[in-house]
Amino acid sequence: MSESLVTFNNVSRFYGEVLGINKVSLTIPPGITSLVGPNGSGKTTLMNLMTGLIRPTEGEIRVLGIAPDHPEKLCRLVGYCAQYDAFPKGLTGYQFIYSYLRVFGMGHAECDQRTVAALQMVGLSEAAHRTVAAYSKGMRQRIKLAQAMAHDPQVVVLDEPLNGLDPLARSEAIALFRQWGEKGRHVIVSSHILHEVDQISDQVILLSQGYVVAEGQIQDVRSEVKDQPMQILVRCDRPGMLAARLFQQDHVVEAKIHADGKGLLLRTKDADSFYLLLNRVILDSGLEVESVAPADDDVNSVYQYLIGGEGSAA
Amino acid sequence: MAVYKKTYRPYEGGLTSSWTRFLTIPRYAFEDLHRSRFLTLFFIASFLYPLICALIIYVQHNVSALGLVGVQGANRLISINVTFFMSVLGWQSMLALFLAAFIGPGQVSPDLANNALSLYLARPFSRVEYVLGKLSVLVILMSLMTWVPGLLLFGLEGYLEGFGWMQDNARLAFGLFAGAWIWIAVLALLALALSAWVKWKPVAGALMFGVFFVAAGFGEAVNGVERTKWGHLLNISNLVGSIWLRLFEGDAHTTNGAVFFRVAQGEELPPWCCWTALAALCLVCLYMLARKIRGVEVVR
Repeated sequence: MSESLVTFNNVSRFYGEVLGINKVSLTIPPGITSLVGPNGSGKTTLMNLMTGLIRPTEGEIRVLGIAPDHPEKLCRLVGYCAQYDAFPKGLTGYQFIYSYLRVFGMGHAECDQRTVAALQMVGLSEAAHRTVAAYSKGMRQRIKLAQAMAHDPQVVVLDEPLNGLDPLARSEAIALFRQWGEKGRHVIVSSHILHEVDQISDQVILLSQGYVVAEGQIQDVRSEVKDQPMQILVRCDRPGMLAARLFQQDHVVEAKIHADGKGLLLRTKDADSFYLLLNRVILDSGLEVESVAPADDDVNSVYQYLIGGEGSAA
Repeated sequence: MAVYKKTYRPYEGGLTSSWTRFLTIPRYAFEDLHRSRFLTLFFIASFLYPLICALIIYVQHNVSALGLVGVQGANRLISINVTFFMSVLGWQSMLALFLAAFIGPGQVSPDLANNALSLYLARPFSRVEYVLGKLSVLVILMSLMTWVPGLLLFGLEGYLEGFGWMQDNARLAFGLFAGAWIWIAVLALLALALSAWVKWKPVAGALMFGVFFVAAGFGEAVNGVERTKWGHLLNISNLVGSIWLRLFEGDAHTTNGAVFFRVAQGEELPPWCCWTALAALCLVCLYMLARKIRGVEVVR
């Protein structure tokens, strides 16, 4: 089982006296996992550790069962897209991908074929023979994604991969991540754009000041945040009547009727009791309900509850 | 939680030998250097002196050719001996210093400035292989300027003189080859170390000359004030010149034509001192590289 997981076991990394991450224990399954946290929370440290670029001060890391002490094996499994623009001088897009594939020890024909395929995948075939220095920010971001994927890694580590991409390129990149995840790869993404993290992630790891604050599916994480009442949005024909019934319950903290008179936003400490009550109200009074949806089980809300800030991890 | 099945097939084909992978680095480096017209011209011009030497060797063995242009007895003007070959090595090695000062600073600093090291080191490519790759760019070019033309001239002389001459003067070939390699190793390591620490290329290039000329000047000052010869320990070219003397089995006079590798009569340092000083310099360079060549630059 551990051979299909990325695991961190009590891992700490200090830069001198500065904390990178502290006592992190994690298990990352295949699919898309997002690392979310403010600047300096340890996202990049975590990524550098799993790519073998830095070693832990303490603890043990295994990437699909392989320790970072074996870079020859580990680096074949991992594709890394760094946060920074990382390009050696003077290379064209084609040369950039091709030369890094050669480092893996593949022959010319294989490298050529993979380079062409990788450039095609990110829509840069026409710009293949232009120098990377002449690329736009979005093109650079895409060529970075291409180099991370060209050798067909099982674990793809992408540090802020959506930065600098226009909306169309973003949705194309997200579609690529989904495709990679669906093929059973581990796609590990760090992002500051919380609503996009919400869209793409199978699981989320929330980091703050070098510690893992929460990990798992966002809905599960939200339900564990007991001290923050759950927000639920109900669209129905008689929100006033529903609010009156709800206020008789101890677990309901707040209820707000929408300005259009067709909806109710409530905060409850016990979502299960609310759902039971709602069923009873519907049966008793014939309330017509259009929709019921949690309003704060997204990354943005969980981030604010657990870490704070203004809805952005940046 | 979604359950994903592994449905792709990773690469299972053959791999190239791991010890040749460092050659990925010079693959495009030469192309990049070739774009500089100045460097290309400088590199081509560096073969002028060996060409003149080849002409001298040819003329030495073709008295009739001299007769054609009315010059008699010119074959006695220049002797093809240890001084001749040491001059070739000296001139070419000096040009190699200029080459290293021009192209060395551009080797590591752009990768550091662009955070490109993580690209190499997140692959099955070690820091040692990275340094070897960068060194190979300098080593190949400097070899083409120093021992390759030196050995070609030796071969030409041997061809014209006969196999017996080659056997009798094998030490010259060894001196050319080993002497050039010592110089190349020192230059290449120093150029890379400075490139790793000084991000501004002109400053790194100037420092390269500074290490040779300023340190040599300081060494001379020490010699003058203290009335000693130990100041030469700070003069890298003097250290290399002293080692060449041993390799060529020559004496101080034979370095007269070797430009700034000249060793003054009576001021030769013991060989072990020269070797130790050069080894210490190389170790310092390696330490400087080890400190900087990392996958992630940690700013504390």
